[in-house]
Amino acid sequence: MTRIGLLMGATALVAAGAAYADGHSERGSDGQLNIIYWQAPSLLNPYLSGGTKELEAASLVLEPLARYDETGTMVPWLVDEIPTVANGGVSEDLTQITWTISEGIMWSDGTPLTAADAVFTWQYCTDPAGGCAQLSNYNGVSNVEAVDDSTIRITFDEPKPFPYGPFVGAQSPILQQAQFADCTGEAAPTCTEENFAPIGTGPFIVTDFKANDVATFEANENYRVASQPAFATVNFKGGGDAASAARSVLETGEFDYAWNLQVEPEILTQMEAAGQGEVVSAFGTSVERLMVNFTNPSADLGDERGTVAHPHPFLTDTAVTRALSLAIERNILVEAGYGAAGRPTCNVLPAPEVYASTNNDWCLEYNPDEANRLLDEAGWEMGDDGVRVKDGVRLSVLYQTSTNSVRQGTQALIKQMWEAIGVETELRNIDGSVFFGGDQSSPDTFQKFFADIEMYTNNFDGTDPEAYMGNWACSEIPSPDNLWLGNNMPRFCSEEYDAMVVEMSQTAALEDRAALAIAMNDMLMDAGAIIPLIHRGGVSARAASLEGVKMNEWDSELWNIAEWSRAE
Amino acid sequence: MSDTLVEVRDLRMYFPIYKGVLRRKVGEVKAVDDLNFDIKAGETLGLVGESGCGKSTTGRAILRLYDPTSGSVSIDGTDVVQLEGNDLRAQRPQMQMIFQDPQACLNPRMKVADIIAEPLREHSDMSAEQRRERVNELMDAVGLARRFANRYPHEFSGGQRQRIGIARALALNPKFIVCDEPIAALDVSIQAQVVNLLEDLQKELGLTYLFISHDLSMVRHLATRVAVMYLGKIVELAPRADLYNRPKHPYTQALLSAVPTPDPTVEATRKHIILQGDVPSPAKPPKGCNFCTRCPAVMPICKEVEPTFKEHGAGHFAACHLLEQDQSEAGELSQKQAETAETPSQQGETT
Amino acid sequence: MFAFTIRRLLISIPTLLAISFIVFAILDLAPSDPTGNLPLTIPPEVRQQIRDSLGLDEPFPVRYALWLKQFFINEPLNLIEGWTGWQFGDGDRLRVTSWATRSPVVDLIIERLPQTLWVVGMSQVVAVIIAVPIGVISAYKQYSWFDQIGTFVSMVGFSIPTFFTGLVFIVFFSVQLQWFPSIYDTNHEVTDWDSFVFQIKQMIMPTMVLALATAAQLSRYMRASMLDNLQQDYVRTARSKGLTERVVVTIHVLRNSMIPVVTVIALNIPTIFGGAIITEQIFRVNGIGQLLIIGIQGADIPLVQTLTFIFAVLIVLFNLIADVLYGILDPRIRYE
Repeated sequence: MTRIGLLMGATALVAAGAAYADGHSERGSDGQLNIIYWQAPSLLNPYLSGGTKELEAASLVLEPLARYDETGTMVPWLVDEIPTVANGGVSEDLTQITWTISEGIMWSDGTPLTAADAVFTWQYCTDPAGGCAQLSNYNGVSNVEAVDDSTIRITFDEPKPFPYGPFVGAQSPILQQAQFADCTGEAAPTCTEENFAPIGTGPFIVTDFKANDVATFEANENYRVASQPAFATVNFKGGGDAASAARSVLETGEFDYAWNLQVEPEILTQMEAAGQGEVVSAFGTSVERLMVNFTNPSADLGDERGTVAHPHPFLTDTAVTRALSLAIERNILVEAGYGAAGRPTCNVLPAPEVYASTNNDWCLEYNPDEANRLLDEAGWEMGDDGVRVKDGVRLSVLYQTSTNSVRQGTQALIKQMWEAIGVETELRNIDGSVFFGGDQSSPDTFQKFFADIEMYTNNFDGTDPEAYMGNWACSEIPSPDNLWLGNNMPRFCSEEYDAMVVEMSQTAALEDRAALAIAMNDMLMDAGAIIPLIHRGGVSARAASLEGVKMNEWDSELWNIAEWSRAE
Repeated sequence: MSDTLVEVRDLRMYFPIYKGVLRRKVGEVKAVDDLNFDIKAGETLGLVGESGCGKSTTGRAILRLYDPTSGSVSIDGTDVVQLEGNDLRAQRPQMQMIFQDPQACLNPRMKVADIIAEPLREHSDMSAEQRRERVNELMDAVGLARRFANRYPHEFSGGQRQRIGIARALALNPKFIVCDEPIAALDVSIQAQVVNLLEDLQKELGLTYLFISHDLSMVRHLATRVAVMYLGKIVELAPRADLYNRPKHPYTQALLSAVPTPDPTVEATRKHIILQGDVPSPAKPPKGCNFCTRCPAVMPICKEVEPTFKEHGAGHFAACHLLEQDQSEAGELSQKQAETAETPSQQGETT
Repeated sequence: MFAFTIRRLLISIPTLLAISFIVFAILDLAPSDPTGNLPLTIPPEVRQQIRDSLGLDEPFPVRYALWLKQFFINEPLNLIEGWTGWQFGDGDRLRVTSWATRSPVVDLIIERLPQTLWVVGMSQVVAVIIAVPIGVISAYKQYSWFDQIGTFVSMVGFSIPTFFTGLVFIVFFSVQLQWFPSIYDTNHEVTDWDSFVFQIKQMIMPTMVLALATAAQLSRYMRASMLDNLQQDYVRTARSKGLTERVVVTIHVLRNSMIPVVTVIALNIPTIFGGAIITEQIFRVNGIGQLLIIGIQGADIPLVQTLTFIFAVLIVLFNLIADVLYGILDPRIRYE
């Protein structure tokens, strides 16, 4: 048989195996699944700990009514459909949402899941003595009631165009009333047994929990999908550091899945070469971006420095900002500093998919010739010292960021790229605690922005960008009047934009909200207020033999663990 | 009484000197250099000299506590230098040592009875009962109360500890005992007691001693014959009276002149020979006679040729060019000096 | 000796109380926030509520008194109840509770003791077994090739930190050779021969990493102490008695040389309970050391306070034990 023949044969076999696994997999048939989280969970009740490690470990057991899939799209989980205004689940005045639990959902102890459990969960978290870490998910909820055994009605004290806070996502799963009834308020922290082994509706049940060390799970016999989960037991080990967690999956093969591998990209690549597993990444909303200052930061202006009274001498020229963006080779930045944890982006709102614009993709292509052409056309002429000048104004920028080795690497690369098109670049870095510290007396905060360009990462939690896009309203411009508190660093101001912010707060339909978000994003890009660089994501590793992993930044990474299986 | 028990021939004990990173051997300390002497059965040979002259090394080399560089030491007909391992150990009961520091030489974690009985366990097949009996005998012999048997060494006074050391040395009925400054670390009042004990034991058990000391008066009291060491060599060896009355070697003369006399008038008028300079390093002994750097009567030949150690008069040995070149003159000089030092100091004898 | 021990024990009570106060005060003054590690998306008012629910709103003396009561009265009563089955009162008393895990600190410690004692304790045993012969032979054959190699190896053992040797071990034995697991399974139970073999396999690397570091140190102590004693006159005495070299070295020299070494070992024992923070992290042994470091990182003050205090108790106790041991081993020392 030729080599190609062999390969084809092997492929056919794999395909057959996969088909078999899909068709005939059986609950508990794939043995043990070994997961390593280098930060170990300290308990399994997400309401008593806001940490990601606890949320994700608990997500094997506890489930919300609806959650987000790997694209950031909301999917019904314990319900049949997502309530919307269109299907009548959300009231016209946007103050009520009604969820209906699917038929036949059981707790792992065999009792049925009822609306009363959801009501209890709300009461549990909002008890002022309990110290609930997920309280913000129940913001604005005035009442949760059980209309009948399977119908939950949530009432808000004001209209909520995005009413998907309570009981959606890994932060807000449903607890069993029967188990936690005696654990409310001040008693919450004393219920060690309950907090270490909550009863849930998820694919697994806790068999043993050693705080900050290891948790073991076994398949839930009462799980709603008869053939799932494929694994009989889960060994959820914690502790150590990210590099050795990566090694245990990628090199020694002792574990099947390792979480949050904040490791230098080249080290991960090296480990991956061992062939035991592969690095997987997923992208949420974090974007490393350059903020462009539309106001003049010159120290000569005294108290009016960096205020809207004095526009920037050249950065309000869209030809300049567009040229700056085109001159950056984003792939190089990713390679040098991010590896699998980053990818080039041209949007400040890169995700979820429905909100992501495709209108700015011109920036993905590194094109210094076009950048030069734009500048020439706009009248910026190359001076003798290699710096462009127009009307006596030199294209010279001060570019600041926080102190961090990756950021300084990026700065150096960008400086090189910009100087190639005749933009003089001066670099500066400021200690993170000062830069992000918001100290009124410091001139170096990112809000005061006494520089031309600044770089940092921001994101928003969850999947709704309303508050995030509101950051660039005129009212958000930091100035001495509001003690420099505000999120609109570029000092971008547009009536049209502000109108869209207001419109979004009154729009309920997801498609309409998405259209608005895209339009706002594009407006910021066209104005050149923000130059997005890198869409940053989470990185995990999975063993080659582990199938079904759908890396997810919107929810628990283990959100679909019921579907995971061992390759034949 | 005149049988030779110990015969020392050409005994050398050189200690190598290592230096540098690789610890290369760069020289040697000639602590003991070509010793020749005999010890007769039942006698006490005193070995005197300044500290650092090689007295103690000689004692240890003879007992094979060091491995001599060359030469031979025959004790009761057996050359112990050639013995190794078990043969040497079999020979140990014959020859024992009493050490200078009675505190340091006793294992602090062993009880007195165990210290004394240990050699018995090793070299005899006595039962535990017999051993206990023997320990008691020995404690009686050295004047220690039996009830002290179960105490640790630190619970005793210096003199008592030295008695333990003696009892230990006697345990195996040795013929020959090296006493290495056994009284130097003791109070003066105790010294005499220990010396008397040693004398009594010698009479009782017919022991032969090599008595190493820097105390000339004590040696005069105790020794049958006396040997004087300087820088690794014996410079003079003679019967006690002979040596003290008619010292032949300038070094001996100088040593004896330093011994104070009890009579203040004599002491005030007595002529001391003060030696100039320091003892040379045994790693770099001078050419010729070892004493030539400090000798009051040094001659050119002394700096060239090493004098031989030979008999000058009956049983009186010395190594000095003076004695060979001008017998009469040198003899006269030493005669005068010896007379001034004649009155013996015997403070040790008051008991 | 008995009176001495009792007196020392009595003195240690005020000492320990003072220590507990100082530790509590330092932890209180330290700028740490148990909600500091929570995601930035959790708003400040929720954080404040969490802090209140942990009792942080009470004034300092109240919190200290509460901790004293929990630690010195409630926890011992609880332990006694657990061991004897007796019941004191209604058995419902407030225990020292970790903020991060919301579970009693003492239970966490008890849960973690086995792996720490197995791995760290065994490493000390192995270290002694390695160090004593090496120290003895090195000293006995001073400047021989054995001594030179021993000196070199222990210098290496001294100077290379455990996190480096640990990684080298993992890369070599786990990644390359695949002999031993790189991650310790704390749930593993020894039930038969095979599981025993697995336990040995998973213990070898962390134990050896720690043992080598400790042995390097101990063997130097041993060597120095042996050299001291070998120069002593009593050794010459022993030789002149005609004892074999083996008896001279093992009975006379070794026994005397062990006196300082045994006390060093005794003083090391509290560190066994303290675990080996770095080594436990590298091999995921997740014992007491890892518990402490997680507590510190998460500003879990009751956990850190209790662990630190237990270490203080152990250190005071083992200092006393070392003193008593010294008295027993060295007849020259008498405490009255």
